[in-house]
Amino acid sequence: MSSAVIDPGQNWSNDVARLAGPFVRRLLHNRSFVAGAVLVLFVVLVSVLAPVLAPYDPMRSNFRARMLPPGAEHLFGTDHFGRDLLSRVIYGGRASLQIGFFVVVVTGIAGTMIGALAGYFRRLDNPLMRVMDALMAFPAILLAIVISAVLGASITNVVIALSIATGPHTARIVRGSVLVVREMEYVEAGRALGASDLRLLFGHVLINAMAPLIVRLTYVFAIAILAEAVLSYIGVGPPPPTPTFGNIIAGERDFMETAPWAMIFPGLAIVVSVLGLNLLGDGLRDVLDPRMKL
Amino acid sequence: MLRFIARRLLISLPVLGLVSLMSFAVIWLVPGDPAAMFLDPGATPQQLAQVRHRLGLDEPFYLQVIAWYERILHGDLGQSILLNRSVTAAIVERLPVTLSLTALALVFATLLGIAAGLLAAMRHRSWADQSTMVLALLGLSVPEFWLGLMLIFGFAVDLRWFPAGGYVPLAESFSGWWHSMAMPAFTLAAVQVGFIARMTRSAMLEVLHQDFIRTADSKGLPWSIVVTRHGLPNALVPILTVLGIVTGSLLGGAVVIEQVFSLPGVGRLVIGAVLSRDFPVIQGTLLFVAAIYLLVNLVVDILYAVADPRVRLE
Amino acid sequence: MVDWTRRGLLTAGTAGLTASLVGLPCAASAQGTPQPKRGGTVTVALTQAPPSLDAQLTSAQVARDINLHMYETLYARDEHAGVVPDLAQGVDISKDGVTYVFALRAGVKFHNGKTMDSGDAVASLERYQKIGLAKVLLSGVDKIEASGPLEVTVRMKKVQSNFLDTLSSPGTPLAIYPAEETRKDPKDFKFIGTGPMKFVEYAPDSHATLERFADYTPNPNYTKRDGFAGRKEMFIERAVFRFMPESGARNAAMQTGEALINETTDGPTAKKLQGDSRFQVLKLLPFAIQIAKFNHAQAPCNDVNFRRAVAACLNMEETLAIAYPDIYKLDGGLLYGYSPYYTKAGTELYNINDPAKAKEWLANSSYKGETLTFITDNTRPDTDTATDIKEQLGQIGIKIDVKVSDWPTVSTLGFTPNGWHFWTHGLGIEPYEGPAKLMSIWSNGISQIKDDPVIDKLYADLLAELDMDKRKAIFAQFQTHMYENAVAVSLGNFGMFQVVSSRIKNFAPYRIPRLWGTWLDT
Repeated sequence: MSSAVIDPGQNWSNDVARLAGPFVRRLLHNRSFVAGAVLVLFVVLVSVLAPVLAPYDPMRSNFRARMLPPGAEHLFGTDHFGRDLLSRVIYGGRASLQIGFFVVVVTGIAGTMIGALAGYFRRLDNPLMRVMDALMAFPAILLAIVISAVLGASITNVVIALSIATGPHTARIVRGSVLVVREMEYVEAGRALGASDLRLLFGHVLINAMAPLIVRLTYVFAIAILAEAVLSYIGVGPPPPTPTFGNIIAGERDFMETAPWAMIFPGLAIVVSVLGLNLLGDGLRDVLDPRMKL
Repeated sequence: MLRFIARRLLISLPVLGLVSLMSFAVIWLVPGDPAAMFLDPGATPQQLAQVRHRLGLDEPFYLQVIAWYERILHGDLGQSILLNRSVTAAIVERLPVTLSLTALALVFATLLGIAAGLLAAMRHRSWADQSTMVLALLGLSVPEFWLGLMLIFGFAVDLRWFPAGGYVPLAESFSGWWHSMAMPAFTLAAVQVGFIARMTRSAMLEVLHQDFIRTADSKGLPWSIVVTRHGLPNALVPILTVLGIVTGSLLGGAVVIEQVFSLPGVGRLVIGAVLSRDFPVIQGTLLFVAAIYLLVNLVVDILYAVADPRVRLE
Repeated sequence: MVDWTRRGLLTAGTAGLTASLVGLPCAASAQGTPQPKRGGTVTVALTQAPPSLDAQLTSAQVARDINLHMYETLYARDEHAGVVPDLAQGVDISKDGVTYVFALRAGVKFHNGKTMDSGDAVASLERYQKIGLAKVLLSGVDKIEASGPLEVTVRMKKVQSNFLDTLSSPGTPLAIYPAEETRKDPKDFKFIGTGPMKFVEYAPDSHATLERFADYTPNPNYTKRDGFAGRKEMFIERAVFRFMPESGARNAAMQTGEALINETTDGPTAKKLQGDSRFQVLKLLPFAIQIAKFNHAQAPCNDVNFRRAVAACLNMEETLAIAYPDIYKLDGGLLYGYSPYYTKAGTELYNINDPAKAKEWLANSSYKGETLTFITDNTRPDTDTATDIKEQLGQIGIKIDVKVSDWPTVSTLGFTPNGWHFWTHGLGIEPYEGPAKLMSIWSNGISQIKDDPVIDKLYADLLAELDMDKRKAIFAQFQTHMYENAVAVSLGNFGMFQVVSSRIKNFAPYRIPRLWGTWLDT
């Protein structure tokens, strides 16, 4: 339950533009960031280029070519529909990344709004944060499972469920940094000069709360990809036939013993994507926000 | 100190109130119907209506809300629709499974995590440090259920070291319990090992750069003694806070792991309840799990305050 | 009294049930096998936990697996679903077909030591009338009374030719309980029956344990195991039914010897184990019929041409091979092949797989390219069926959105007029139980959400008809109507692979993993 530890004395980002240059340089010298960026870029490129890269139509079944082991014709083998697994994993990445991306967007916007309002306006702080505390009291994955089951399985509902599950923590991180920044001298000065609350909030406070938010959202992306797989496994994930990393695994697990490749490859794809995002997040954290712990 | 605890409790109460409301409100949104669980595909709507009536599902909603608060204030979580017993009884009989799974996973995660973190910190920037951290990160990047299925495939089917599922109570036989729990607990711990290892490493690195360590080192004490006697105790406070988060995550992870390994725990209870629309069990278990989580964090915060007096002033 | 059995059987025969009684060959009970051994514990790996161990309150398949070891009914079904006496010695049916006088077997003991008499039977049937899940089954009953210590008389309101079918249904069994248990609140009901095994323990989400009922007397009127009836002799001492949803875990449990019976495994695994001397790999086929229902209350499914287009397009073999690898049978009959009512009528329209013809029908239909909703539960075979049908219909230009939910959601939605166009699932027990049961789910528009006067008329005729040949003709008309109007699409039969340890002797696959008659070799 400990929130991000932000040292009030630290004063490293008064001017984003001036520091952007050194940031990039430091990022490029950060091995974790570079490794993560390479992996993530690879996964994103493969997903974007799916129609070009996928050797077969990921939906087209061929029931005479079911559960073929990996070979020259099908690099990853085929599933029990006789669909080409490589193509499905490639397209699955597309859907899984989409889910992750939208969760990041929704969580980012909602979490920032709630966190900023709570941190900046004292009167809103208590009620808003108690609701966030209450949501955080439920294990995030359980909350996501319940919400997804309740709303019905679809990509949109999975995004909603995961956003509700990851949002509160994000809000708390934003609130933490806003609390620190709003007491800083230049904000006080702005207030003395008659700047409106909203302008101060968006113009200065939030920009300075960006660093921990970016780091958090990178992890949220990773969490969303993992959670989508769990929801599919439980049976409340995105419905077929559109492949996602998770529903490929879930759909093939009855054949785990005889066609293990159908589970192994999408699983490895998750590991690669999430590892990349975690490395990226670590690198960003080291550079943007060195004092932040996990 | 007492004031700190009192204030901390006061913050928890409204949260608990919200948690109970949210737990109940879940069924507002639910489309499905638990009555269908009793029926084969060919069942008629009349049969469905009949089961609904027997289960009290046709009562007006506001009556159900009032009944809920009346019950939970008396410590009663209601009656399960499908299990033929009270929700409290259902939770209590499954609790040992979840608790022993979580506890064993916590032991695994803590021992392995701290050991790995220490190793990495002591050999900072070495080959051992790098590979430990990569492994830790890998652990954080693997879907738990997938790892569990892979382990079943490898260790239960091929090597036959461990059973593929099922649960032997600790009271019945220790070796049976260990056998049935080792693989699920390890799977569950895998993610948290990485988390604790990273935490330990960074906490240790911070401590090891402080003056008193250099002093101890310069006195000629062996490095291993410096680390374990002087370094580790000082790094424990941040590690302790992390354990609160870890316990919460383990409880969440157990929900899924129990499913993979067919363990009859609270997680299996709640997933089964969600998929069969056993409303009272969903509500009761959500409330129960959240209350446990709040309690764990309360205890951790208090321990933290005891260990580090500055926290109380926050 | 001496004459009871024969008279009972003969009377039942005139009611159109002869075929089931003339001793169709009994599956797999090998003659000349070595002497059965007593003792031992058998663990059975099941896919789910039963919703209830009170047999009168559930029709779930997994509950039958356990419950039919514990409870018995007055009449039951033999190997090929024929109606035969179980707890009853026989029945005497009045000439007008309205009064049934059942003679009960003497000396049948309940698990609590009490001897069963007519009071127990009456109390159990009355409990079923009140709270039994399928109490509509008894809605035609006017009066039930104990007309003697071992005699129960049931008077019907009017002729109902399927009354004995109903009484013997394993679907939601009309189990006979001790009278004192029937008066309790269902919550306090102790699981006491007359079956060859008795209740020991139920550990939620984990297992149920039964043990051999020492005072059980196998039905002396039979010489061998026969369906749910026959001679039920228990050699195994203890059975543990373990609930293991993960198929990999069930397979692993068989490999390690933790479980001796796996209720169901997938085709590829079954193939792999076939050569392994430690296991018997058994086929239970047919187990169910996969159907795809249309919602006739929604356009375009209310249009017969649209439905015909769908039926004409589909390649059933493809769908079945994907959903049920290696364990399916292309068969258009709406009953199982062993039923005396089985007919090929109308099945020339089954599995025609003619996309050109389908496109023709489609062009003449009201379908305008809108996206239709296909609902399915989240079990793999049903989801696979929906997915494959979507792909196949996509080829002729029908757009479908597959909506997957859990069983409670789907099965509630699927009986309402809105929110769906197609729904697929297996029909297992209905085809087994016979024509009346199968037709009942299409009567009053229950499954197609719109009354079909033709079906309603045929169903009423069937219930009023006591002559078997005429009943067969009515069923054939029904099946023809189902095909010609494409009321629903039957994809064919599917089954289950059961894996049984070689240590278990004399096991024969059936609708439940029967333990009576089997024994454990040490």
